[in-house]
Amino acid sequence: MNNKVLIVPAAGAATEVVAPVRGRVVKSKRTRDLLTFLMVFGPGLIVMVADNDAGAVSTYSQAGAQYGTHLLWLVLLLLPVTYFIQEMVVRLGIATGKGHAAMIYQRFGKWWGLFSLVDLELVNFLTLVTEFAAINLALTKMGFDPRLGVPLVAAGLVLITVTGSYRRWERTVVLLCLLDLAWFAIAFGLRPPFAQVVRGSLVPGLPPGGITADLMFLVIAIVGTTVAPWQLFFQQSCIADKRLRFADVKWARLDTFLGACITITVAACMMIAGNASLAHGFKFTDPAQMAVDLGGFAGGFVRNAILLLMINAAVLGTTAISLSSAWAYGEVRGWPHSLQLPWRQAKGFYLVYVLCVGAAAGLVLIPGAPLQLIILGVQVLAGVMLPSAIIFLQLLLNDKELLGEYANKPWNNWVNWSIITVLFALSLILAAQVAAPNLFPAA
Amino acid sequence: MATMMNPIENEELNGHFVVIHPLDDRPETKVDTESFGPMAMTASVRLSLLSLRAYLLLMMLLVFYRVVVLAGWFGHHA
Repeated sequence: MNNKVLIVPAAGAATEVVAPVRGRVVKSKRTRDLLTFLMVFGPGLIVMVADNDAGAVSTYSQAGAQYGTHLLWLVLLLLPVTYFIQEMVVRLGIATGKGHAAMIYQRFGKWWGLFSLVDLELVNFLTLVTEFAAINLALTKMGFDPRLGVPLVAAGLVLITVTGSYRRWERTVVLLCLLDLAWFAIAFGLRPPFAQVVRGSLVPGLPPGGITADLMFLVIAIVGTTVAPWQLFFQQSCIADKRLRFADVKWARLDTFLGACITITVAACMMIAGNASLAHGFKFTDPAQMAVDLGGFAGGFVRNAILLLMINAAVLGTTAISLSSAWAYGEVRGWPHSLQLPWRQAKGFYLVYVLCVGAAAGLVLIPGAPLQLIILGVQVLAGVMLPSAIIFLQLLLNDKELLGEYANKPWNNWVNWSIITVLFALSLILAAQVAAPNLFPAA
Repeated sequence: MATMMNPIENEELNGHFVVIHPLDDRPETKVDTESFGPMAMTASVRLSLLSLRAYLLLMMLLVFYRVVVLAGWFGHHA
């Protein structure tokens, strides 16, 4: 492949001063496609893998530790769901070049815009607290002092973001995403019962004991953690910041699809790890304790790898969620809001990011902070918010005046309204369960 | 309205292809969203959104109440 860098003047340069365009020259169409994909690749992978955050590690491993491989089919079922939802965001982001919060403000007015923004910022902040709670927990199990470790992680999260280079941030985060693939090695190393895994993945069924309050809560938590409201805001803003072009739509879709495949299979690996804990008779309390339990028979590598992956998941979740908050706030306030801008040119945007990270990190270090209540609140609020966030997305994607050929096709609408109906049903069950905790029988 | 535009990258140049990173490329003309203003909504869509607004407010209050009860701020645990 000829990898020369070519610099050509942009069209129209005769009449106005336009920065030259830097490009790479390649000979074959196949190389061109591969290189174009690699250049577009990023937002889809990051949004999907960051979705496997600390809360997700906890939820999936708990599902495996309580119900073995019986809920694997549910996770696989969520692959098309998460892909279809994020694919809409790809089209909207590329066509408008603007973030989701900005679009809601412009197309639905200030009231709805403010309502969505407040919801997003609230749930995001609570989620960030859970990310740092997980970091705190994992560091403690590894023998590090969290009073030192948590501020160090927070400082690292700020440093990777405020460099004034989108590409630098993206490369760092993609690298962290790829570390998540170590879950495959862990799951394989735990010698899973392959026949059970295949059956649990392909044959939908209920675990022994039928429908209980615990099962319902876990099912809703799995759905809520796989498809989260911040993802819509994050990916659209990320696409706008990266300035993806109309010609990039197919590559951005592929990026999103690959990300969805990775995140779902990694989630299945977490369930398999939980299943190994169940098979050895351990009682699940949290993923850090599960790591210690599994390390007892599988070795120190498994123990430390799970603890490090917990921290990695929380770091990925924190950078993506804090950025979705900062982008959304910057869009609505009309502030400069790009990772391409240096600190002094986008102070407000970076300050929101730093405040989100700093406040969440600080809160978990307060002795006696009600972390368990915050975790409960996050799961419930995210479940409640999700269907409404998707309804806005669905309405925007049906806006033919705005999107033209990028608007939803009838089959998109069938799929999406089916997803929204199921999510609303789950949201209502959750509401009923919150209002009446004894609605379903106890396990 | 958004329409497919000629890609700037992948431009064929004497049998070669030029691939340009999106951040190095010329800014592309996007849909001018500001010229559209608020979306035209039918009465049923408006009503649905109002119901959704009420549902969300109710649910947030319900969650807040439940968390407060669990925190024991009323002096007992549910």
